[in-house]
Amino acid sequence: MKRRKLVNYSKYGYLFAIPFILAFLIFTLYPICYTILIAFTNQEGVIPPKIKLLKDPLSCFKYLFKKRNSGKISYFLDSLIATAKIWIVNFIPQLGLALLLSAWFTDNRVKVKAQGFYKVVFYLPNIITAATVAILFRTLFGYPIGPVNDILTSLKILKTPYYFLNKPKSTRAIIEFIQCWQWYGSTMITLIAAVIGINPEIFEAAEIDGANRWRKFWNITLPSVRPIMLFTLVTSMIGGLSMFDIPLLFAEGRQDLGAQTVAIYIYNTSFKQPYKYNRSAAASIVLFLIIIALSVALFYVMRDKDAAKLEKMRKAELKRAKALGRGV
Amino acid sequence: MKKIVASILCFTLCAGMIAGCDDKKDTTKATEGTQPTQTESQADTESQADTESQADTESQADTESEGESTAKTDTTAVLSMGTGDIAINVYAMSNEVPGMIEEFFKRNPDMASKYKVTALVSNNDGNGYETKLNAALSAGGDIAPDLYVAEADYILPYTQGDLSSFAAPYSSFIDGVDGKITEADIAKYTVELGTNTSGELVALCYQCTGGAMIYSAKIAKEVFGGDDPATVEAAIGAGSGSWDKFIEAAGKLKEKGYATVSALGDLWNVCEKAAQTPWVVDGALKIDPQREKYLDLCKTFIDNDYTNDAAAWNESWYADMQGVGKDPQTNETRKCFCFFGPAWLINYVMGGQSTTEETGFGDWRVCQPPVGFWWGGSWLCVNKAAVENADKKAFLSKFVEWVTLDCTKDGLQYAWANGLMNENGTKDTVASGTVMKMSDGSMAFLGGQNPFDAFVKATAFASAKCKSLYDASLNGTWQNCGSAYGHGDKDKDTVIAEFKDAAAEIGLEV
Amino acid sequence: MASNQVALHSKTKSDIAFKTTIYIVCTILAILSLFPFVVMLVNATRSTAQIQAHAVSLIPGSSLSKNIKILSTKKTFQPLVGMKNSLIISASTTILTVYFASLTAYAIFAYDWKLKKAFFGLIMGIMMLPGTVTMIGFYRACYQFHLTDNKLMLILPAIAAPMTVFFMKQYLEGALSMDIVESARIDGAGEFRTFNSIVLPIMKPAMATQAIFAFVGSWNNYFMPRILMNKQKNYTMPIMVALLNGDIYKTEFGCIYLGLSMTALPLIIIYLFLSKYIVSGVALGSVKG
Repeated sequence: MKRRKLVNYSKYGYLFAIPFILAFLIFTLYPICYTILIAFTNQEGVIPPKIKLLKDPLSCFKYLFKKRNSGKISYFLDSLIATAKIWIVNFIPQLGLALLLSAWFTDNRVKVKAQGFYKVVFYLPNIITAATVAILFRTLFGYPIGPVNDILTSLKILKTPYYFLNKPKSTRAIIEFIQCWQWYGSTMITLIAAVIGINPEIFEAAEIDGANRWRKFWNITLPSVRPIMLFTLVTSMIGGLSMFDIPLLFAEGRQDLGAQTVAIYIYNTSFKQPYKYNRSAAASIVLFLIIIALSVALFYVMRDKDAAKLEKMRKAELKRAKALGRGV
Repeated sequence: MKKIVASILCFTLCAGMIAGCDDKKDTTKATEGTQPTQTESQADTESQADTESQADTESQADTESEGESTAKTDTTAVLSMGTGDIAINVYAMSNEVPGMIEEFFKRNPDMASKYKVTALVSNNDGNGYETKLNAALSAGGDIAPDLYVAEADYILPYTQGDLSSFAAPYSSFIDGVDGKITEADIAKYTVELGTNTSGELVALCYQCTGGAMIYSAKIAKEVFGGDDPATVEAAIGAGSGSWDKFIEAAGKLKEKGYATVSALGDLWNVCEKAAQTPWVVDGALKIDPQREKYLDLCKTFIDNDYTNDAAAWNESWYADMQGVGKDPQTNETRKCFCFFGPAWLINYVMGGQSTTEETGFGDWRVCQPPVGFWWGGSWLCVNKAAVENADKKAFLSKFVEWVTLDCTKDGLQYAWANGLMNENGTKDTVASGTVMKMSDGSMAFLGGQNPFDAFVKATAFASAKCKSLYDASLNGTWQNCGSAYGHGDKDKDTVIAEFKDAAAEIGLEV
Repeated sequence: MASNQVALHSKTKSDIAFKTTIYIVCTILAILSLFPFVVMLVNATRSTAQIQAHAVSLIPGSSLSKNIKILSTKKTFQPLVGMKNSLIISASTTILTVYFASLTAYAIFAYDWKLKKAFFGLIMGIMMLPGTVTMIGFYRACYQFHLTDNKLMLILPAIAAPMTVFFMKQYLEGALSMDIVESARIDGAGEFRTFNSIVLPIMKPAMATQAIFAFVGSWNNYFMPRILMNKQKNYTMPIMVALLNGDIYKTEFGCIYLGLSMTALPLIIIYLFLSKYIVSGVALGSVKG
């Protein structure tokens, strides 16, 4: 008994964390450092030359933000904006729809039947491989022959087939639609869980006060699910920043169609002409900084709750330990 | 309910998989077998007799049955040929060259028992093939390709660009190359493209891809009063170097209810290769007038409804080859008058579409295009490292010479030009002028016409001058510009400015 | 009293209108969710000519076997190879993720060690780091050490899955009491054994949820395999699917739909069987997070 008490368990903490730390060092930290290094070097061309620092180490970063000859913003900024546009236009209706549905599905006066069915169906698009979805939509929106054009011309909504994939507006609208369509179900389920978590007594009290649906939603539901909404917002934003599969496979990631996202920019710059690994490494770092900033925001959003929880746990543990100590 | 649906779907999937599996087994057998023999899945095509030696028999089968197989794009995973111990790695973007190796081994059994060729075949969608080839070349060692194939679109990086250091000069593994080139009368542009910056020949092409206009005889008769090449050539201003008469003819075709071309891309193939200057001269962007003209052509053809606005290599394009394409501006079926292309377009693409009389078999003819051009072709390169290995060198020397320089009746090019490699009449134009003179290209697909006359003439236009190292990315961008301008989404200045930006982004002076 | 009744009555009336709106909207959304997949499945059974004439139909055609045959003679698209690779990679990834995330979470939860706080902060910091950011360095390193085309390069990084660790830790806090661990210690069990035989079973529900997400995430991943895998025999399912965009298939509409169906169906089927767990998993994950 005495001997066991002397055992220092903290070494197991290190021991059990070692695999994670090792994998992290090798597969995340090292690549990040290497990426940072590459951004300042001469690594370009199909077969990059021996690694050497650039004369102007910052030239790649400068290039990323340099205006194009025609006076337009750089391709990198353009890709950031394209990404942001796609994300925003998909997220607003996504969140709106999810909020609406979650309010409907949790309404305590009107019980919506077949909720399970709807949830399963709404979430379905999220589980399917994005690559499959992208190519499916590319085929659906084919020109001049394609299901969507077929429907639109048969229903006489359009007289002649529409070349969806030749216009930036329609291309981007479809990408936004796909994103929204794939994700609103997930957001909805998340929000429903949050709404269910609200103490029902609060709703009851409001009802006694004569609050209508809208007031309940606005005054109780919305403020209560705000942390979860923020969480969804940040995760969605970071997910949106690394958007790759759908714009690439649906619209070939074409810049002139507004489908070149940052991830595609990084990919194209390094794996296609001009094969500039250094430039795309620099772009990765800028993206990295943006994501770190967002992660910090996420951390702060969630910290309060978490810290409070931890504190509670610790106290309970302490109490338990004391009790145990007394017992022994 | 959910579970029932799931079970039904599951059953369907399994049934599909099992059916798929069976077929797959057959084909895998065919690919893995060292001496591929006929398998059931392939036996149903008559083209079999001559081609069992080719691992890519399905490529022939397709041309006949469904027909879209193009030697250009059809791909396989990894093919294995020969039974020997000396390993040779081949990288190719189509089954064409692996098929030649099969044929070569059939003719040289001693070689087949000595070597084991592993061919990695991958199509170049999204630069897939290039990426793989580049990685393998620079990695070196066991996975490095000993023999690799590059297409016209991206040959230059391997002969004059970043990767040219890997390509061995032909003179290092074939004796008396210069003399053999003269003897075989190899098309000049193919040699130019295969020559590196220090003047050494490092790649050669077995095809000659001078382009012609492939038109419908019936439509020509109705609109221009005659279906012979001379009448049509006069009507479209063949060889004039200008598009004016062609546009005039397009107007007449429109009146009679025909589209002139299927896709804007058809026009691009001509404009691209008709250019006298490449995209890049001394590191600076240059837009050749012929290529600039493409923008106007797009506009003219869309505005006047002269094209069915199909997308090349797409469903709609093939529909036009069968004469069932639709006019997108009226949504009515409208036949298409002509396509532009070299012999391989007839053999591997159109041949697969116009399979019956209704779909145009026998109705196509070949004549000179208004503006001369060439399109495509595959070049063979040998890795320097492979030449240092005497065993590998022995194979490579014999095989590459047989494919690219042998102008006798035993050479590959003779078989290629006379359709001896397969039975469904794919007679291709080849690089050797000597072989072309010995060959007869007439085929039923063209109503018995011998297209070699037109194609040999077209070779005169073929020039390597229009190629640059940046073609792969700039061509695509320029076509997108043409489409945006043609469809009225952007004005000309905007698309040109955008194009210049894109060129600057890949490191060109503008 | 009377006014109250009127109010109640009118409320029921508005409730019916409200309910009807809900059902109409939900049904439209459900159709929207299912429609593309229905078109995909139905067209997989139709011939190219039928699709060309009318791209949308709800009546299955009879060309399924023909489409299967055509698709299987095209050697580029090999769904079985893709499925095999994806299965190997996703299954290994899932096991590694779930096991090591649990272990790491336990290390943070159960022990007091000096760098614990810093470590947890790190996990929070990198929780959301997408592959895009590390890709260039990762690719160049793999390339230099000749590790491209190596499945391990897609599998091993799964050992460090910060998001899962975070989730697991949150779960442990609610589900595991140190008393149990203490009593195991008193019984003389080693720490590692205690973890495997006592802690892991307690974590089963969380592990199941995370396993599903790890599996689906890995199965659907397109970015990293596309960059690392050059040889066709190593292609995963999403890369195989992307090949359907290629030239060869553009003539065969039925085949494209069939190929897409073959990649989507396994997921749809698994989803239909596990939907209860998946949907509740999504809810759980978000609330816990």
